[in-house]
Amino acid sequence: MNPYVLMILISSLGIGTTLTFMSSHWLLAWMGLEINTLAIIPLMAQQHHPRAVEATTKYFLTQATAAAMILFASTTNAWMTGEWNIQQLSHSPSTTLVTFALALKIGLAPMHFWMPEVMQGLDLTTGLIMATWQKLAPFAIIYQISSTTNPTLLTTLGILSTLVGGWGGLNQTQLRKILAYSSIAHMGWMIIILQFMPKLTLLNLMIYIIMTSAMFMMFKYNNATKINYLTLTWSKSPVLATLTMPMLLSLGGLPPLTGFMPKWLILQELTKQNLAITASIMALATLLSLFFYLRLCYAMTLTLSPNTTNTSSTWRIKSPQMTMPLATISTLTIMLLPITPTIFSLIM
Amino acid sequence: MHLATMFNSNLAVILLILATPLLMTLTPSPLKNWAIRVKTAIQTAFFASLFQLSLFLTQGLHTTTTSWHWMKISTFNISLSFKFDFYSIIFIPVALYVSWSILEFALWYMHADPRMDQFFKYLLVFLITMIILVTANNLYQLFIGWEGVSIMSFLLISWWYGRADANTAALQAVIYNRVGDIGLILSMTWFVMNLNTWEIEQTFSFLNDTPTTLPLLGLILAATGKSAQFGLHPWLTAAMEGPTPVSALLHSSTMVVAGIFLLIRFHPLIAQNPTALTICLCLGALSTMFAATCALTQNDLKKIVAFSTSSQLGLMMVTIGLNQPQLAFLHICTHAFFKAMLFLCSGSIIHDFKDEQDIRKLGHVHALLPFTSACMVVGSLALTGMPFLSGFFSKDAIIEAMNTSYLNAWALTLTLLATSFTAVYNFRITFYALMNFPRCIFLPPPKEDYSPVRNPIKRLAWGSILAGFLITLNCPKTETPILTMPMTLKLSALLVTILGLLSAMWLKTLMNKLPNKSPASNTMTQKSKIPMDNPAKIIFNFSNLTGYIPTIMHRMAPKANLTMGQLMATQLMDQTWLEISLPKGITSSQLPLTKLTSDIPRGMVMTYLTTFIFTTLLSTLLLILTQPDLPILT
Repeated sequence: MNPYVLMILISSLGIGTTLTFMSSHWLLAWMGLEINTLAIIPLMAQQHHPRAVEATTKYFLTQATAAAMILFASTTNAWMTGEWNIQQLSHSPSTTLVTFALALKIGLAPMHFWMPEVMQGLDLTTGLIMATWQKLAPFAIIYQISSTTNPTLLTTLGILSTLVGGWGGLNQTQLRKILAYSSIAHMGWMIIILQFMPKLTLLNLMIYIIMTSAMFMMFKYNNATKINYLTLTWSKSPVLATLTMPMLLSLGGLPPLTGFMPKWLILQELTKQNLAITASIMALATLLSLFFYLRLCYAMTLTLSPNTTNTSSTWRIKSPQMTMPLATISTLTIMLLPITPTIFSLIM
Repeated sequence: MHLATMFNSNLAVILLILATPLLMTLTPSPLKNWAIRVKTAIQTAFFASLFQLSLFLTQGLHTTTTSWHWMKISTFNISLSFKFDFYSIIFIPVALYVSWSILEFALWYMHADPRMDQFFKYLLVFLITMIILVTANNLYQLFIGWEGVSIMSFLLISWWYGRADANTAALQAVIYNRVGDIGLILSMTWFVMNLNTWEIEQTFSFLNDTPTTLPLLGLILAATGKSAQFGLHPWLTAAMEGPTPVSALLHSSTMVVAGIFLLIRFHPLIAQNPTALTICLCLGALSTMFAATCALTQNDLKKIVAFSTSSQLGLMMVTIGLNQPQLAFLHICTHAFFKAMLFLCSGSIIHDFKDEQDIRKLGHVHALLPFTSACMVVGSLALTGMPFLSGFFSKDAIIEAMNTSYLNAWALTLTLLATSFTAVYNFRITFYALMNFPRCIFLPPPKEDYSPVRNPIKRLAWGSILAGFLITLNCPKTETPILTMPMTLKLSALLVTILGLLSAMWLKTLMNKLPNKSPASNTMTQKSKIPMDNPAKIIFNFSNLTGYIPTIMHRMAPKANLTMGQLMATQLMDQTWLEISLPKGITSSQLPLTKLTSDIPRGMVMTYLTTFIFTTLLSTLLLILTQPDLPILT
């Protein structure tokens, strides 16, 4: 791809999201979403193989549907109430429509079906953008409409997403699909707390982005797309193989790792709201996700691959890839929990 | 000089003498031949104890207690408190005298044992804990002695630990005693919680209106375990698996009388509680009757003697129930002499006949071991209550007290029956083992003219003859006995004994016609077949298999427990929880959902958009239906 085009696309990708962040007007926000979508489409289809093109098409269709629905709902709202401000979404059918449109955009169950399949068609770098940056713009809107959305709807979406994320991941051997389902489960956690403490949604999003980026970068470093590729990680980078285990457990939300922080705070908040049953269901549903994270751990660090490596010392050769971001972000993935109070006061 | 100080220092001297052989073990180069030193220490301690005995008898002292501060837990004081009264001051010399004889006998009996020194030290510790128990005026102290006796009995019974039977017997002793300990600990806890004291004296004075049935039941349970009353009795006869000196010491002056002694100590409490008295009376009567019945058909020499101990303990319990602790104590003391002697004689016979202890295979012993046989007969007569032997003084008094009381006629009948059975089983020993012709080969011929055999038995024989008279003479009477009664009542103990003897002699003539063979199986490992055709056979089997109690308690109960445990471990835990409900249950419940989740998408955009449209429509519809006044279009 022409570097100029690439630069334009990447800056559009940034600008689209930024535009959505900035806007308090529905039209502008919609515009940001569209710019964002249109910018990533060529990036997704960079490699012209049919799998990438198929994924791009699927992504385009779902995102276009969602954007159209957002436009329709906001226009309806403006028609009914004469108000274009995002936070003034007081017409409840419109609110429901917008909620579902955004759910489709970020891939909440039961509108999640596109997510694993699109993810599977992308290379790991684009997959990283898809799983992290692309979530930001919709969440900017979700955060703003959080006070007007229907609580029952959000709880249903949240629980369903966490369950589906767990169930879907159990049956997968493809790493990108596993990460897609992991993303769905995390989205469930973010949505369930939205009505009680939107700040925690943002916190969870932040931690999710850190952890998922670390995982994608790790896979990228190892060029791993299937579970059985992971069994050779130790020969490429023993330290990374060791570090990946706590990273995965952090993703599963085990103390004393970073991933425990949002789950802890969310469960505490749910309990404070007298939603003990909801909290229990969420915690138990996460066990499903934990199972496939543990399977990855097992494949990577607890067992040795039966196949042999042709070169004995791949880990001695310095990798051409950048390792600094990976090092930073994996440290963050593992060790943020002790500074929970700081982070908490930062977002509050 | 102050009397109390003399008693204290005397006890200190006794304990010091006894502890010397143990302490000397700690020296860097221990001396050899501990066995003799231990025996000498006990002998010396006996003579030392005579000092306080004579002091007690001449000065007419009632009770002396010491109270030294020991430790303090919050508001609860534990003091080191010794009690010197009639019971402890009479008991210590008796115990020391009997132990001295037994240990001297053991010098001969155990001379081939490679760990003989250790054996003697165990016996010594056993004796010391018993002395701690009887002098304790404090439940904590008493508990130390109580548990010490249990532990030492475990070690001593399993002395020949290579034998499975000995190990089983030791375990039985420990387990049955733990059941009894539950009672003692219950009572101790009750005393702490309700009276805030463990001093035995103080517990009596605090009780005015507090109901004491619960702690007394605990104490009775403790005595049941330790003194092998009915229900917790099997360990006593099983304890015969230990060496004969152990059996002698265990059954005569230590351990088994500890339970009765505990009840004697707590008698002021029991006396005020009719429920506890009745329980003691009935339990004792049942125990004495049951043990005497079992003794009738046993063929093991030591086992018959052991069942007779069990029966005599039941009699002591009856005496407690009769509210006559002094008579119970008297019986403890007289019983110690003749029971120790019976065991030593049995030991002598067993040793001489190359470890043969089946009375059907012995015989003709009176010609081979005349001295031992004579002493055995003296012991048997003392046990049956032959007038003016020492057993007579206690046993006759007990039966008499019983006959003149207005208590339970059922208990009275059982006790009288048991008394007549005493004559029967003693006659049986004498007839089978001592009389007639030899029924086994004995080469080289038995000899009994070793001083460690003759002297102890001789000393105990003197005790069996004189002890009852001497103790009765010096025993202060606290209650006025009933002095007038009909002749038959006065002679009833003798009469039933003679009756028992006569019937036993008559039965002897019918010997070949009796179903006198072992039941279909005498072991616990096989199911015992109970022939239902002949009532005599049923009774015989009941007696010979000791009331089926070992089968029920040691076979069926563990089997039921183990079966239940096996079912719980394999079926409930392994198969149900760890297999079906958890791993497989989770798999089978999650797998369909997992498959569903992965199967729905099928890579089609139609699916994505259809679910979106349907979900959106459905939710909007629900929203409109639940909020009918919603302005949709205006």
